[in-house]
Amino acid sequence: MSASTVTLRGERRQPVNKGNVVANVVLIIVCAGVILPCLFLVLGSLKQIDEFFSSPFGFPSNPAWSNYAEAWDEGDLGTAFGVSAIATIGAVVLSTILAALISYAISCLRLRWGQVVRVVFVAGLVVPVQLIMLAIFILMRQMHVLGSVWSLVITYTTFGIPLGVLILVGFFQALPKELMEAARMDGAGHVGVFLQVVVPLSRPAITTVAILNGVWIWNDVFVALMLSTSSATQTLPLAILNFFGTYSSEWGLIFASVVISAVPVMIAYTLATRTFMKGLSAGALKE
Amino acid sequence: MSVGVATRRKRGTKQPTNFARAAVLFALPAVLVYGMFFILPVVQSFTLAFFEWSGLGPVGDFVGAGNFAKLATDDAFLAAIAHSFIILGVLVLITNTFSLALASLLNRPLRFRGLFRAIIVLPYVLSPLVVGFIWVLILSPDIGLLNPALEAIGLGALQHAWLADPAFALPWIAVALAWQWNGLATLIFLTGFQDVRQDLLEAARLDGAHEFQVFRQVIVPQLAPAFTIANVLAAIFALRAFDLVYVIGGPLGAPAGSTTVISTIIFGTAFGRTSFSSDINMAYAMTQGVAQFLLVGVIAVGMLLYFGRRERNVR
Repeated sequence: MSASTVTLRGERRQPVNKGNVVANVVLIIVCAGVILPCLFLVLGSLKQIDEFFSSPFGFPSNPAWSNYAEAWDEGDLGTAFGVSAIATIGAVVLSTILAALISYAISCLRLRWGQVVRVVFVAGLVVPVQLIMLAIFILMRQMHVLGSVWSLVITYTTFGIPLGVLILVGFFQALPKELMEAARMDGAGHVGVFLQVVVPLSRPAITTVAILNGVWIWNDVFVALMLSTSSATQTLPLAILNFFGTYSSEWGLIFASVVISAVPVMIAYTLATRTFMKGLSAGALKE
Repeated sequence: MSVGVATRRKRGTKQPTNFARAAVLFALPAVLVYGMFFILPVVQSFTLAFFEWSGLGPVGDFVGAGNFAKLATDDAFLAAIAHSFIILGVLVLITNTFSLALASLLNRPLRFRGLFRAIIVLPYVLSPLVVGFIWVLILSPDIGLLNPALEAIGLGALQHAWLADPAFALPWIAVALAWQWNGLATLIFLTGFQDVRQDLLEAARLDGAHEFQVFRQVIVPQLAPAFTIANVLAAIFALRAFDLVYVIGGPLGAPAGSTTVISTIIFGTAFGRTSFSSDINMAYAMTQGVAQFLLVGVIAVGMLLYFGRRERNVR
């Protein structure tokens, strides 16, 4: 496979070398190390319990699609899916809006102490969630929102703002100032410039922020575990953990529920791989 | 263009106040939310760590550094720190060998480069819950894949109830974390490789350097910033790990407390290790949280200084 393709792609004027063949082989093995475990998870979700023992590596002879329906009903995953969706979408929308507004103030309106404010917000990325979740738990209890989905929305919104400020301030600063000037000359106010110039031009950066925050919030166990006191705040990961505790030997059902939780993220990742790559490396490189 | 400049200058006198007020209004919502639900809790955590408080009722007496003194003799906490450091060691090792090598392979002009990259980064995007269950599936003595695989290649004697053995559970958790972490580490190095100056590579090759010498003496020094970021983030990832460890080891660090890490200990101190336990101590949990924060900070800053010096040596 590789030797011929490398010859075709000789445009970087690298001599065709054995190195590329070796690289392809090694990378295929490593990728198998990623894909196969995921595949076994999916296969496991379609197995009857006895098939785990009779053919650990085999395909299920008679795919038990009923595992999914059963897990969905027994684990009350529908409710949990709803809680996760509300918490994730609510927090992503709110934190992106808040981060965009303050980033606009810092980078386009020359907010006084703007650079200090920026550092304080970005520093939030390195404060361990563990440190402040206890205090947040107490705060939520005092505000009487513990046990309501609002506690999740507020907390995730807050934790989403630092990444938003990190990415958006940099992006807004690089926008051409002439366009904003021109809009102002046409009579647009600050809100008008923000909505008609800055936001439309920044869609890639805003999408990156929304996706990165959305994925970790959807995946999160810790915050939800801390704040969850009722079924109204039981997110999908928590429901699966509980399910695991209750039906600890019903492996087919457990894996079906785990696959269900991974589907939204997998769809997002497949559709927006490039956004993920850019966002992850941008987030990492500036942190 | 010149019109724009002229206008800006003309308006320059009356705009600042307008801008300043608008800036404050635009910044206000985020500042309020962040101040109330982030800055305030940070301050409270640091404050409460000096008091006695179970978490219910009024806050108790000021105990000064009492909670911190307790840390030094808290065997469970010290064991958890040791476990976290084992994870840190494994992650740093994997980062600087495996992930680095993968990135150098991915930097070649391969046809399926994009696909390889997407697959290798994938574990980092998956939820720790999914990753945890994948490894439970692989290692389980009942439904597992590793034991039958060992059997199939004639190493059946090595079969084991991996996650039930205190000697093996933590190393396997470290492997699971490394499996996930490798995705981001590789991506960071790959981004670094793309900044390596091609002219220096060509020059070294013209001078007759072997590929390994080129790698060691031309590429690695230029990757210094990537080394810094990858190692610091690996340390943060390792010392803060919770979700995956909790999925596999639970709140008690099963088996026999061998898989407790700093974060799961804090969770247990704050909310009780079992649903019936009464050993809840919110103030002490915050002390442990502050200790974790300081520990992560010291390690991260130490790494920044160490790798930062390497970065400067290059230039």
